[in-house]
Amino acid sequence: MFRSFTKDSGLIRTFDLKKPSIRIIYIILLIISLFIVFIALAPIIWTILSGFKSLSEFVNEPKLLPSSYNIGKFIETWKTLEFTRFYINSFIVVIGSIFFAVIGNGLLGYALSKIRPRGSKFIYFLILWSLMIPATTSIVPLFLNIVKLKLQGSFLPLWMSAGANAFFVILYKNFFDSIPQSVIEAARIDGCNEWSIFFKIVFPLSYSINTVVTIFTINASWSDFLLPYLLLNNTGKETVMVRLFLFRNSVATDVDIIRAVTFSIIPPIILFAFFQKYMREGISNIGVKG
Amino acid sequence: MFRKYRKDISGWLIMLPGIILFSFYIWEPLLASIVMSFYSAKGIRLERFVGLQNYIAVLNHPDFKSAFSNTFSYTFWSLIIGFLVPIILAIILNEIIHFKGFFRISIYLPNVIPGLAVTIMWLFIYRAGRTGLLNIILGNFGFPPQAWLTKSHLVIPLIVLFMTWRSAGATTLIYLAGLQGIDQELYEAATIDGANIWARLKYITLPQIYNLARTLLILQIIFVFQVLYEPLVLTNGGPNNASISLMLLVYKYAFEKFDYPKAVSVSVIIALVLIILTGLYNKLVKENEM
Repeated sequence: MFRSFTKDSGLIRTFDLKKPSIRIIYIILLIISLFIVFIALAPIIWTILSGFKSLSEFVNEPKLLPSSYNIGKFIETWKTLEFTRFYINSFIVVIGSIFFAVIGNGLLGYALSKIRPRGSKFIYFLILWSLMIPATTSIVPLFLNIVKLKLQGSFLPLWMSAGANAFFVILYKNFFDSIPQSVIEAARIDGCNEWSIFFKIVFPLSYSINTVVTIFTINASWSDFLLPYLLLNNTGKETVMVRLFLFRNSVATDVDIIRAVTFSIIPPIILFAFFQKYMREGISNIGVKG
Repeated sequence: MFRKYRKDISGWLIMLPGIILFSFYIWEPLLASIVMSFYSAKGIRLERFVGLQNYIAVLNHPDFKSAFSNTFSYTFWSLIIGFLVPIILAIILNEIIHFKGFFRISIYLPNVIPGLAVTIMWLFIYRAGRTGLLNIILGNFGFPPQAWLTKSHLVIPLIVLFMTWRSAGATTLIYLAGLQGIDQELYEAATIDGANIWARLKYITLPQIYNLARTLLILQIIFVFQVLYEPLVLTNGGPNNASISLMLLVYKYAFEKFDYPKAVSVSVIIALVLIILTGLYNKLVKENEM
């Protein structure tokens, strides 16, 4: 296990691993890590597997695992709760949000990084502050504004809310700062206006940052429920999360609810499985730059 | 004359969509909260200026006292349970060479699951009676089943426990990025000088992540201060207000009692606390950069 193996990072070094006591410490740390992984994954796995229990099994029998695994139970719940509809609604919310997140925040980041008109420092300052002042504290007046504009029951306010994300603006600004100004200047000399520079030159160069923003937007708008609940409840446009929230006051059985939880966590898990590298990089950026 | 300002004008035009979105979603609602908190209202229509009456009414209501002290209790428990965990996890995982990617992916997975789904999962884990997961596990060791969420002294730590379960992985990744940023030559030099592993941990690792930990401490306080839907979904603030938070109080004023001015008064109080914390945070970030 330790023979052909150099360790040149962290506290324990290749040199230390020659000592048996340190090797034991390393193995203990490895076991602790496996235990941590178990803690992280067990509740998720239990939730998914519990969906295979029948109602009486789930409510009456104190057992960890179901007695049989029949996927038909999930399909039945999916049909009775009409999850296809909620999935479609959630997908509509997600797609529109991606558009606004990328274009709205991207344009703002571009102007703050590459055009810097007089007075833009003040906007940047406001955005830095918005990063810290949580949106939830002003949910009431925001909700009232949307009601006054009669946009209740529409997806539009949810889509547009993705376009006001201070964190994304800063992410974009930092990214655009790394594009050489000379590229922009050359395009300006060639007679491009700022809009076409953004869409034809900067945007194609921003593949990686657009991917990060897109993934985080998908996850955030899929998971969001407070504003969707306030705006879409009882309109037939409820998203998966809104439906999940309503279970508190509905007649659905416990096993139906736990299966619905599984339905609601599968898309984010699939997304994560494909893009985990981008997500982990994004999260490190939040901490270091935020 | 026009040429001189052309860059400014096109810059502001490009920023315009973003500025409109930020104004609509963040800046205007924040100002509207402040204005509204000084008025009485009928439904969503403001009626007349009442000075500080809303604040006085809110502050004198017994719910506020519970919510205020509970919010501090959430913060306190999140620091006890949640602050050190990611640091310890990061230090351990940083040492592990085997299955490195697997560990990082697994600990981050709870973070991609929507917060509402996590809360409902834990509702089943903490469920009273023999069939909640926690009671099943404890039952194997001979403990009688407990009605966990009805114990007023336990309810906040139990909520914080699963908030930590959900977010510790992401914070761990931030610390891991910080640990990897440490100049490896420091360890080499210390090893040559004969410093053992504990000494390296104490004199190199911990001082090097001290600034990061201080920043994340403030971020965590800001984050936990807004706790809303965990108590909303899990306990609806109960038992007997034992888990009501300030944001949940806002929610109840606004969307259960439709008393919008009182709701925004509480959110202004929250925003004030958060602005103070944010100022502190920005000061620390600036110090870090220097």
